[in-house]
Amino acid sequence: MSGEPAADGELTFMMGRYPARVPTDRRYARNHMWAQPAEGGLRFGFTAYAIRLLQDVYFLEWNIDAGTQLRERQAIGAIESSKAESELYSPIAGRLVAFNEDLLSDPSTINVDTYGAGWLFTLAGDESPLLSPEGYLEHLAASWKIAERTIKGQLND
Amino acid sequence: MAKLTVVISQGQSAQPARRRLEEELVTALLFEPGVEVTVIPHLYDLAPNGTGMLCLQSVPGDLIVLAWLFPRAAHWTLDRNGIRGRMGVSLLAEGEASDEDAPENQEGSNDGDKPRVLDSRPLPPRTIHCLDLRTKQEVSAYVAEVRRIRDEAAVQTVSITGPLGILARSAPAPVVVAPVASSEEPVARKVEEQAARRWYPVIDYSRCTNCMECIDFCLFGVYGVDRADTILVEQPDNCRKGCPACSRVCPENAIIFPQHKAPAIAGSADGEAGGLKIDLSKLFGAPDALDVAVLERDVELVAVGRGAVGKSVGIPQRQPARTQGPRDELDDLIDELDRLSL
Repeated sequence: MSGEPAADGELTFMMGRYPARVPTDRRYARNHMWAQPAEGGLRFGFTAYAIRLLQDVYFLEWNIDAGTQLRERQAIGAIESSKAESELYSPIAGRLVAFNEDLLSDPSTINVDTYGAGWLFTLAGDESPLLSPEGYLEHLAASWKIAERTIKGQLND
Repeated sequence: MAKLTVVISQGQSAQPARRRLEEELVTALLFEPGVEVTVIPHLYDLAPNGTGMLCLQSVPGDLIVLAWLFPRAAHWTLDRNGIRGRMGVSLLAEGEASDEDAPENQEGSNDGDKPRVLDSRPLPPRTIHCLDLRTKQEVSAYVAEVRRIRDEAAVQTVSITGPLGILARSAPAPVVVAPVASSEEPVARKVEEQAARRWYPVIDYSRCTNCMECIDFCLFGVYGVDRADTILVEQPDNCRKGCPACSRVCPENAIIFPQHKAPAIAGSADGEAGGLKIDLSKLFGAPDALDVAVLERDVELVAVGRGAVGKSVGIPQRQPARTQGPRDELDDLIDELDRLSL
């Protein structure tokens, strides 16, 4: 099991040979988003783990408006990258405060600055399902085999 | 030889870009020989016995329908209204992919050995091409496709009547019918109908196996059966606007809601497997389709003052049959996914 502290304030999860950074200054949702307090609620963005699976993001779309009240795991948008695509779901229940408008014209910031300027949206709501960095690392370790198989299974079709 | 009827189904809103494309198309096609242009309001919104549908029903031969709809959605909307024919293959593929290898028609495109409702329903000997106006932005692309279909139809006619089919096929298209007398400007037939926006399911009978899960699931009386006990959308206007729940429950993805924002539900042909790309939705938190459907249904039940029923009513009983086989790796994988609630 991987989880060696790599640098100060950072854990690492080894995705095969790729080290996915898990900064310890924030919390995490099970659907591979980080969460950090920000104006109006919590700011959410993709984790390095999610970005490694997606690779180069070139399309991001939201199909709800800011201000919408969301259920946990409600469909809110879609993302497409060079290698993959996915619907996007609300990490927690709550009200969507704002989207990162800069991403709509250039979603590549998600790749460039995953844990900073590549944030996705601000959401105010029930924070109880969020995991600690250590908890997220355990979640990754437990689900990595499934993730691998999901990817390989689809590739081998 | 009969002219080819080209129907332009207008968008629901008067969005300027869409209206412009429609108008330019009408203008371009009016002067196209062998083609007759009809303009109707949005196909999906037409009333079952309204002027628009009656007009379409009166077309005896081949038909091209250009609409702001996925071709499957348009085709099966027409079919439900008695405007039936073989599904023509367009070279204006969805997306940019070339469709050269597409089968002659898309019946049974969901291979497998299950009998589909369409298998037991003979189609009239004509072809209906449905083109999605969202595929290309240039009018010329649609005009070229209309020409191609017209010329192909003409060649086929000749090859049947001519002595040497193969020769006829390679001959230049002899279809050129003289345009309408030059003294008169050709005009498009325009069907006026007050078409309010509608919302109802459309069944793709090339996929439907008549399993009845939709009629069990829907609690609003949308579905019924015909005299041959085949499922049909009997009371479309009982449907709850915005609710696509039965479509999620359908095991064959045969139920289309043409106005839904998710392409797979709106009738995209390649919506479900995600094409060539890896679908990470499950890893990124996609809830189970059945859970979503149950929730959507409850919302609509509450909205009309009835109680939520959750999973107590009309839930497909597919699991018992499935567990009879030996468990395989995939079963374990799915169980793990459920347990982890990724």
